[in-house]
Amino acid sequence: MIEIRLELPLAGSDLRVEAELPAAVTAVMGPSGAGKTSLLEAIAGLRRRARGRIACSGAVFLDTERGVDVAPEQRRVGYVPQDAGLFPHLTALGNVRFGARGDGGRVETAIDTLDLRPLLARRPASLSGGEKQRVALARALATSPRLLLLDEPLAALDVELKERVLPYLMRIRDEWKVPMLYVTHNVGEALALAGHVLLLRNRRVEAQGRPLDLLSSPGLTGEAEAGIENLLPGRVLAHDATGGVSRVELQGGIPLSVPLAATRPVGAPVMVAIRAEDVLVSSAPVKGLSARNVYEARVEALERTGIDVTLMCALPAAPSPWLARVTPAAVEALGLKAGQPVWLAIKSHSVRLL
Amino acid sequence: MLSRDEAQVVFFTLEVAALATILIFPLALAAALALARYRGAGKGALETILSLPLILPPTAVGLLLLEALSRRSLLGSWLAAHGLEIVFTWKAVVLATGVMSFPLLVRSARTAFEEVDPRLVGLARTLGCGRATAFYRVTLPLAWRGVLAGTVLAFARALGEFGATVMVAGNIPGRTRTLALAIFHDNQVGRDDRAVVLAGVTVALAFVALWTTELLSRRLGGRAEE
Repeated sequence: MIEIRLELPLAGSDLRVEAELPAAVTAVMGPSGAGKTSLLEAIAGLRRRARGRIACSGAVFLDTERGVDVAPEQRRVGYVPQDAGLFPHLTALGNVRFGARGDGGRVETAIDTLDLRPLLARRPASLSGGEKQRVALARALATSPRLLLLDEPLAALDVELKERVLPYLMRIRDEWKVPMLYVTHNVGEALALAGHVLLLRNRRVEAQGRPLDLLSSPGLTGEAEAGIENLLPGRVLAHDATGGVSRVELQGGIPLSVPLAATRPVGAPVMVAIRAEDVLVSSAPVKGLSARNVYEARVEALERTGIDVTLMCALPAAPSPWLARVTPAAVEALGLKAGQPVWLAIKSHSVRLL
Repeated sequence: MLSRDEAQVVFFTLEVAALATILIFPLALAAALALARYRGAGKGALETILSLPLILPPTAVGLLLLEALSRRSLLGSWLAAHGLEIVFTWKAVVLATGVMSFPLLVRSARTAFEEVDPRLVGLARTLGCGRATAFYRVTLPLAWRGVLAGTVLAFARALGEFGATVMVAGNIPGRTRTLALAIFHDNQVGRDDRAVVLAGVTVALAFVALWTTELLSRRLGGRAEE
């Protein structure tokens, strides 16, 4: 349980956050300037003007009324800023070891979790964006943190790199079981990683709760960036080498054909990524289409996302809505509106396994 | 070749300059860090006071030091009561050269510290470093070029100090006479040839100091950019 009752003076207006977050992954969302980074820095102890009370799993970081303000080095919080913040004068290994506690065991495990062995001797200047993020994550993990604060760890990465780093984040969540506050603009990431969402706007909490309950909040998708919007857990059912496809069963028993991935053992859990613009939308039943995956669904909501429109489509068996992105022209031509039945088609090759 | 007395002057000058540089090093770094990080009232005044020796005539600085250390002053009488003679001893030479070199080291180090991203220092704190450790493990390694340049500059300035030294330490052969004072003295008494030799020594010393720094900086710098 993470308890936050924070007041932080900032230029313009103060940041005020009152929240009780579960000791798992919380996605912190909201438009730029909402105060997301300031919140993380206050929790890490880097904002000296923070007032109020912050406690994490029983450890009190800040309690102004009782005169408690624990120094950042004693909070044991792993903070990964948006640009990774690696020390340029140290190698990747030097960075990972920087704050390590105890024997080298944590360092070794962190290095293995994030597949850093080939990078250890390199300086940050020669690492790619995704590699820097992985080194920064390992550096934070090696300190055995009570809490991880991740500030848009995937934002600076292109879609392909996101797909490569995301599984590491899931591994950290599932294997290390460290509570996380995870700042993101991306609904898909929030759905895939977080069990709880804290939505900030104008330096106040606008909403908080389970991601699915908040999906229709305008702040959640209004700022969506290009990314992977549909991240769906499932498991491998079978491989069809002659057909060139593998069959995956998503939550709710929904079948999905993906490009042949024979290296994944049958029965293994996988995460499936589908970009919202790769989902074709039809207002009538689809026949004679090459796409392997066609599903009947219902439009729950339409959300303007920049120039395009994002549809939230409910599949009867799926636990969460699927997102599809179309042009306003398509909305017009198909007469799309909330409540309308649609058919979603997805080419096997648009699906990626993480 | 140098006579025995001249050799003594050269070594004395090197010793004094080195000692002055070592003594001001921690103080100047602390002042530089304070100026680089501190944002508040009094910063401008502090900056100005620390930079004064750069602009004032060295003789004026020397005179102020002399006044401060004289037996009539509070500090001077306290020192005398504790048996500490400073004025017109080698200690006065160290003091005068140190005071004159101080702002040069502060300026270089301050610029170097200002270029270190304070967020990296904050991150070091979240990774378990106290203030001092974060300085030692992050700020200093990232600012070392500027700190090194400032240290060499301060040392070179200390080698050549004249005005403040002559006021507060005098020009006593074998006791407070440095290279700069010896050059002036030789010239005054008509031994221009010896003055030129000593001037040549100062050129050689300055050259070696700067060249060493350059080499050191290039070697360490090359490694840092790999």
